[in-house]
Amino acid sequence: MAPFVYSTLIISLGLGTTTTFASTHWYLAWMGIEINTLAIIPLMTQNHNPRAIEATTKYFFAQATASATLLFAAVSNAFLTGEWDILQINHPLTSTLTTLALAMKIGLAPLHSWMPEVMQGLNLLTGLILSTWQKLAPFCLIYQIQPDNPNVFITLGLLSVIVGGWGGFNQVQLRKILAYSSIAHLGWMILILPFSPPLTLLALFTYLMMTFSLFSSFMLVRTTHINSLSTSWAKIPTLTACVPLILLSLGGLPPLTGFLPKWLILQELTKQDLAPIATLAALSSLFSLYFYLRLSYTMTLTMPPNNPAGTLPWRLNPQHNTLPLALTATTTIFLLPITPTILALFTS
Amino acid sequence: MTPAHFAFSSAFMLGLAGLAFHRTHFLSALLCLEGLMLSLFIALSLWALQFDTMNSAALPMILLAFSACEAGAGLALLVATTRTHSNSRLQSLSLLQC
Repeated sequence: MAPFVYSTLIISLGLGTTTTFASTHWYLAWMGIEINTLAIIPLMTQNHNPRAIEATTKYFFAQATASATLLFAAVSNAFLTGEWDILQINHPLTSTLTTLALAMKIGLAPLHSWMPEVMQGLNLLTGLILSTWQKLAPFCLIYQIQPDNPNVFITLGLLSVIVGGWGGFNQVQLRKILAYSSIAHLGWMILILPFSPPLTLLALFTYLMMTFSLFSSFMLVRTTHINSLSTSWAKIPTLTACVPLILLSLGGLPPLTGFLPKWLILQELTKQDLAPIATLAALSSLFSLYFYLRLSYTMTLTMPPNNPAGTLPWRLNPQHNTLPLALTATTTIFLLPITPTILALFTS
Repeated sequence: MTPAHFAFSSAFMLGLAGLAFHRTHFLSALLCLEGLMLSLFIALSLWALQFDTMNSAALPMILLAFSACEAGAGLALLVATTRTHSNSRLQSLSLLQC
């Protein structure tokens, strides 16, 4: 892609999210989200192959519908209560409609069906932008909705955790696995939103770090399928040692960072007398742990059934910058011991 | 719910149902999307007409600009789909199934 076009699109992505972050009026927030959608569509169609075009089409329809519903909820709120302020969604109908529209934007169950297929059709870099940057603007808006009735959020969250775990069970394509893991993690974030918004931010931050490191690892060894993952141990052996830790952190095992949000969320849910829901969420995240374990097993604990001496690849220098991967992998693995500091950072 | 609110709400819901349940053609989905945007345009114009001041009179025009951009992007995707899948039927978008 021509550098001028590419930089315009990247800057527009930044502009859209910044506009939504800076807005207090629903209309400006909607404009920022629209700019984000329009800017990422050419990025998704860079490689002009049928899968990318199909993924872009599905993404376009899902996002356009969700944006239109979001604006409809804002206009209905204006007609019913006269308020355009983001913090003043008081009418139950418009608050629910806004939540559902934003849930479709980020891909929560039961509005998640576009997510795996869209991720499957894109290359890993665009998939990374899709699952990290594109979640920020809708999350900024979801964060500011103050619901008086937590049932919608609990339903969306629990359903997303279950669907994210169950849906990824039978997948061998890595991008679909990452999509389902994204759905599950977003479910955890939404689950705790009515009770403790700082924990939602904490979960979002750790999810961004973990997903970034996993995507970067897959980009470095150029793999999109479990088969090619199993033969990538010889390319960068240090990475082969780190990726299981990143995967187990995504699964939420102590003493890795991924345990932190899950632990605090379960603690907060129990304090709010929702222990059965906490149990269901914790048990459903075992599904996700199963396919993370399968990925780490095939990558590190097995040898593929071919002649290793004849198929070892050349170990060349990595082509792109490995500093972001180093930083995010460190954050993914080692952040649990400084939990009190992180809690003070997020809840002050 | 005022009659104006009911009018654009029902228009929006009909367009949304059309977008959700379309079966064959890509273009009919794009038309329903345009219908959604049109109902929102009418809603914002009715909102702006309720006041004497021109405070929110620019809102429908900005919506029109964004809706045109989105329609352009949708049509570009229609052309791209026809180029890669040789037709624009929605049943042919089945390459990425689980």
